[in-house]
Amino acid sequence: MQLQLQNLSKQYGAKYAVNDVNANFVPGVYGLLGANGAGKTTLMRMICGVLKPTSGDIRLNGKTIDELGEQYYTHLGYMPQDFGFYPDFTAQEFMLYMAAVKGLDKRKAITRTKELLYMVNLSDVADKKIKSYSGGMKQRLGIAQAELNNPSILILDEPTAGLDPKERVRFRNILSNLAKEKIVILSTHIVSDVSYIADTVLMMKQGQFLIQEKKQTVTAGIKGKVWELLVNENTAVEYSRHFSVVNLHHENDMVRLRIINESAPRENAQPVEPNLEDLFLFYFGETTEKQEEI
Amino acid sequence: MLLKYEFLKILRKKSTLIVMAISLIVTGFFFGLPIMQYQTYNQNGIIKGTAGIAYEKEQCKALSVLLSEEYITDTIKEVQELFKNPDNVGYDGNEQFLIGNAYWNEIAPREKLLNLIANNYSEPNELLGYNNLPNLDIAKGAFFYQTRDSKIKALLNNPSHTFSSEQKQYWNRMVGKVDIPLQYGYHEGWNIIISSFELLMFGVLAICIVIAPVFSGEYQAGTDAVILCGKYGKTKLVTAKIAASFLFGTIAFVFHIVVACGLPLAAFGLDGWNLPLQIANTTIPYPFTFLQAVLINIGIIYLVLLCMIGLTLLLSAKMKNPYFVLMIVVPILFIPMFLTPNGTTGAYNLTLFLLPYRSTMPELDKYISYQLGSMVLDVLTIRGILYTLVTIILLPFAGLGFKKHQVM
Repeated sequence: MQLQLQNLSKQYGAKYAVNDVNANFVPGVYGLLGANGAGKTTLMRMICGVLKPTSGDIRLNGKTIDELGEQYYTHLGYMPQDFGFYPDFTAQEFMLYMAAVKGLDKRKAITRTKELLYMVNLSDVADKKIKSYSGGMKQRLGIAQAELNNPSILILDEPTAGLDPKERVRFRNILSNLAKEKIVILSTHIVSDVSYIADTVLMMKQGQFLIQEKKQTVTAGIKGKVWELLVNENTAVEYSRHFSVVNLHHENDMVRLRIINESAPRENAQPVEPNLEDLFLFYFGETTEKQEEI
Repeated sequence: MLLKYEFLKILRKKSTLIVMAISLIVTGFFFGLPIMQYQTYNQNGIIKGTAGIAYEKEQCKALSVLLSEEYITDTIKEVQELFKNPDNVGYDGNEQFLIGNAYWNEIAPREKLLNLIANNYSEPNELLGYNNLPNLDIAKGAFFYQTRDSKIKALLNNPSHTFSSEQKQYWNRMVGKVDIPLQYGYHEGWNIIISSFELLMFGVLAICIVIAPVFSGEYQAGTDAVILCGKYGKTKLVTAKIAASFLFGTIAFVFHIVVACGLPLAAFGLDGWNLPLQIANTTIPYPFTFLQAVLINIGIIYLVLLCMIGLTLLLSAKMKNPYFVLMIVVPILFIPMFLTPNGTTGAYNLTLFLLPYRSTMPELDKYISYQLGSMVLDVLTIRGILYTLVTIILLPFAGLGFKKHQVM
């Protein structure tokens, strides 16, 4: 199974939402990181065949979406960001409906619906109307519908947005169980999700991939550029003005700062092992939404 | 399965039930109004509602007659005799009329029939009452059907109508198919249905309101992405959505027809279903019974509905909000309500008679025809063909609109 993006672009007027993206996906979990407006959702919609690229090709095992036709979609499971449900359907009806859209026969649809609702812990409320569900329950139902046809390509756009920490952990566990032998592309701007789930990190900015690396080696590029130092509160304010401060932690009267900088911000600053969040902030700077941190 | 769930999607919405309930109540009110407002008179005063209907029906029992030349001549003679007695005649400064027992015993029970006879002798577009019957010279006979033929001929040769020779031939052939002598009888229920058909437009609008979100509702709710990337999202699902819309439209239409026809027929009875339309107006060209005319017009309104569903679906597939869809559909349905035809010929009139609102009105007494080369078709046939064709043309575009939809 190989999914290739070849010179993929999407242009709206003069602006490129996705600009000449090339990638080669084989089974594994891909964490697609990027700030809002980086082009993640546009890219995912194009992969899912619901948005036509301005140029370039998407190929599954060498064949384009157009060549594969309906066949392409049998490989696909998609959970869009903030997608709506039919509030007057029960979870079971919604799953059976989606199974019909995905071309599953009736018997298989019933079996898969039962299995997946059990897996996402919605069996007890399967007969309740979706309008009575919480956000987390809807997200779990979202991933259950994406899994109905046991797709070999699973596209999840911001699947953990809006979930509380407990729901996020539950979601990550579900995803880990599903990810075997599949190409899973998970878009998020929550760095910790990628840290936990992804094998490969894709970082997107202004419609282009900045990084396509294995998780283990992805931070190598900023090794020696992350520093920690302990300063008093007044000095901490000064440092925040002049450096990219990743973290700020109060320890009694002092403040421990984590700074990304090419060189040591001062003599006694200690170099520390960079993590994914440092990398993210290195590329996206102060605009990063710190409130997303757990 | 897809059809079932698409149908459920339409049906389960609270708005569907509310819109349908309101529409059925409105239809029931409109078609029930002639029953509630019905009134007839006798010597003791006004008899209203169902009591009035029952009284009128009783009065008409003796009027199930064959309108032979002999019967017509005798009837006219009877009226003329009544007018000869000055004690029977009143005068309002403008025209004479019968009063007292002469009116209540001899005229009132059969006034509609007498008016029909009198109008057969009127000029086209002129309305006469029974009090014009004394003016007729029937010394050599009434020549009722001959007069009818002459009136139709005059109507077809009226210079303002500008009928082509092919059109005249077409209408003459159709008129020739009407069986004469006409059988007369009570037919009030059918008359009310035929004259109220346009009120079904509210039902058509209600169905369009319910159908409007079929595609655009998916865009609005954000479910478009997930269904379009399903195996059948761009193929069988589109067909299922269209089929479910038509299924819903058909069922809702049947409910409306049951209410619209059921109320008048329950109140006035089925009497007259097999009588010719010409007993309402002798110059009606269509050789149908009341039942046939009602069924044909219901068929045409159904085709108008299917076409409006097709248009609604097309707009729904193209627009991201069901309200925008209705902003186009509502004027198409209701603006023609404010346009009045000024004849039966000419591009303006011929177009107006084909618009959805006008198409619900059978216009049975009008000679509206369309000529394509040497081929002539009446308005009912043209409406049937036109709305079938437009529906067939619209549907693939509606499907294509959804298939090509880009999730932005």
